[in-house]
Amino acid sequence: MSSGAGTTVKRSKGAALVKLRGDLVVATTRKVWNDLKILGRRRDVRTVTLDFSEAGRVDSSGIAVVSLLARQLERSGKKLELTELSDAHKAALDLMPKQEPEAEKAEPPPGALERVGESVLSAAGATRSLGGLIAETIRQAFAVATRKKRLPAGALLHQIASMGVDGLFIVGMLSFLLGMTMAFQGAVQLQRFGAGVFVADMISVSMVREIAPLMTAVILTGRTGAAIAAELGTMRVRSEIDALTTMGINPVRFLLVPRIAAITLVGPALSLMGMFIGILGGMLVATIALDLPPIMFWQRITERVTALDFLHGIGKSLVFAWIIGFAGSHLGMRANGDASSVGHATTRTVVVSIFSIIIVDAIFATITTVLRYT
Amino acid sequence: MSEPLIECRDVSVGYDGKPVLEHVNLTIEKGEIVALLGGSGCGKSTMLRALTGLLPPLSGELLILGKPLYDLELEERNQLLRRTGTAFQQDALFGSMSVEDNVALPLRELTSLPEALILEMVRMRLFMVGLPGHGTKAPTSLSGGQRKRAALARASILDPVVMFCDEPSAGLDPAVAATIDETLLHFRSALGITLVVVTHELESIRTIADRAVMFGRGSIMANGSIDELTNSKDPEIHNFFHRVAEKLDDGGALEQLTR
Repeated sequence: MSSGAGTTVKRSKGAALVKLRGDLVVATTRKVWNDLKILGRRRDVRTVTLDFSEAGRVDSSGIAVVSLLARQLERSGKKLELTELSDAHKAALDLMPKQEPEAEKAEPPPGALERVGESVLSAAGATRSLGGLIAETIRQAFAVATRKKRLPAGALLHQIASMGVDGLFIVGMLSFLLGMTMAFQGAVQLQRFGAGVFVADMISVSMVREIAPLMTAVILTGRTGAAIAAELGTMRVRSEIDALTTMGINPVRFLLVPRIAAITLVGPALSLMGMFIGILGGMLVATIALDLPPIMFWQRITERVTALDFLHGIGKSLVFAWIIGFAGSHLGMRANGDASSVGHATTRTVVVSIFSIIIVDAIFATITTVLRYT
Repeated sequence: MSEPLIECRDVSVGYDGKPVLEHVNLTIEKGEIVALLGGSGCGKSTMLRALTGLLPPLSGELLILGKPLYDLELEERNQLLRRTGTAFQQDALFGSMSVEDNVALPLRELTSLPEALILEMVRMRLFMVGLPGHGTKAPTSLSGGQRKRAALARASILDPVVMFCDEPSAGLDPAVAATIDETLLHFRSALGITLVVVTHELESIRTIADRAVMFGRGSIMANGSIDELTNSKDPEIHNFFHRVAEKLDDGGALEQLTR
């Protein structure tokens, strides 16, 4: 029946009589609408009459065709009439929405200046709330440290295990491989000047001061920072954080302090491990490929690397850990509403963390160089 | 009468091979409004998952429009599911889209209608569920009752033969709940949609349902008109319909200690 659906139009003196044939359903309305739309635009047609005597079933899309045509004609001051409606047609067409005022106009898009102002304001707001979060975390951590308040049982251990223990392998593996790679690459250059023995200096200093803290931070960002943001964001979306607040439990103490405390321990620890394993990798290459005995390699290291270098590396990875922890917490806690906000918080955590880490690293390098501490 | 719209023959449903409901025999005819009832945890939501194509039954035959839903090829099954609509308990609106885009989604994905017609259909549906002018808003900016109504609009946009609603008026104020009941009745009278509604709301059951199917004790406990169930002698059904509190077993620990 629907295959024969269509329209027959008879025109006479500004009026058009349209006979609808067949079902007016999703499968057929596209064609019917195209016919009617063109008819409605003709200047010489003032009145359109739809004859339903041969029309079959009318579904929502059919009703929409009539409704849309009525509005189109009304806008240009023309008339629509319906004739020969069966009871079923009447029942269906009764669903046509009454002419309502158009939905409230959306505000005009903000201009360039407005956008700049808005982004500055929102950046200021974000900075303030980040500051508040950090202050609150420190306050709560202090309260926990002085035994005034308690952490949830087992939370700290659980966090350390999931951040640290599970990260041991990947940090170890990558440091080892990086140490080896650097030894290979460096040796080729240094040997040209007969300075192959200095490969030990190069690897140990760069591992301790730069590579290990930086690489650990990158791995922690991907593994831990993203996880913190996703976890807190989901909790926020599912009102779990609101639940804590209404129970009178401080969400910062309950959720953030264990995570920040854990990453404070785990970041430098993994980094320290990375330093040693990286040097080990370099040592292996030096022994096998460069005929540099391990003893000599070790001697060079102990002569060259000082406690200050370690302090520099560990201090840096501590700052990196805080950047990751607070970026994840802050962005996760700020997620709101829908599923996509959690994804957004997670992505932003990774981008913001790595960006800030590189900047901070540059600042560290500049300051230490200016202070002539090498 | 032609073939029934939905037919369950000795169906068992459950998770991990453990049945929640067994020997379910149920027939739903075109144009009916059937309420699925039962206490919490009785398996009515599990049954609804089976009916909506989300959970294959453990055994038995489940026919929708005469076709075995779970024995069809994927494409055929999707074709069949497109003729049903489901409104979830949590509205399940896509948070990343406006209300309008949510409701228009099935039309845009599954039909080739021109955009002007799609927008008109959406406008009509939003009008029908009492949300005119809310189309451009984000779902999160609507109230709970408005979201449920937007979900009903989305579930019904393709003029389904049957619509499944999971607790459409749970947790809403009486006025909004009554509006939703009215909308459901309107769907049947105007669009001929058959409705299968899971609900606990006695008021709403009495208003809309032609028939109630009560689940309990691992299967269908009763199946009949609302009057029949209200006057049932079965204590469990009686308690449900007359809101009699379940006797909690207090264990008598205090008595033992004070004796």
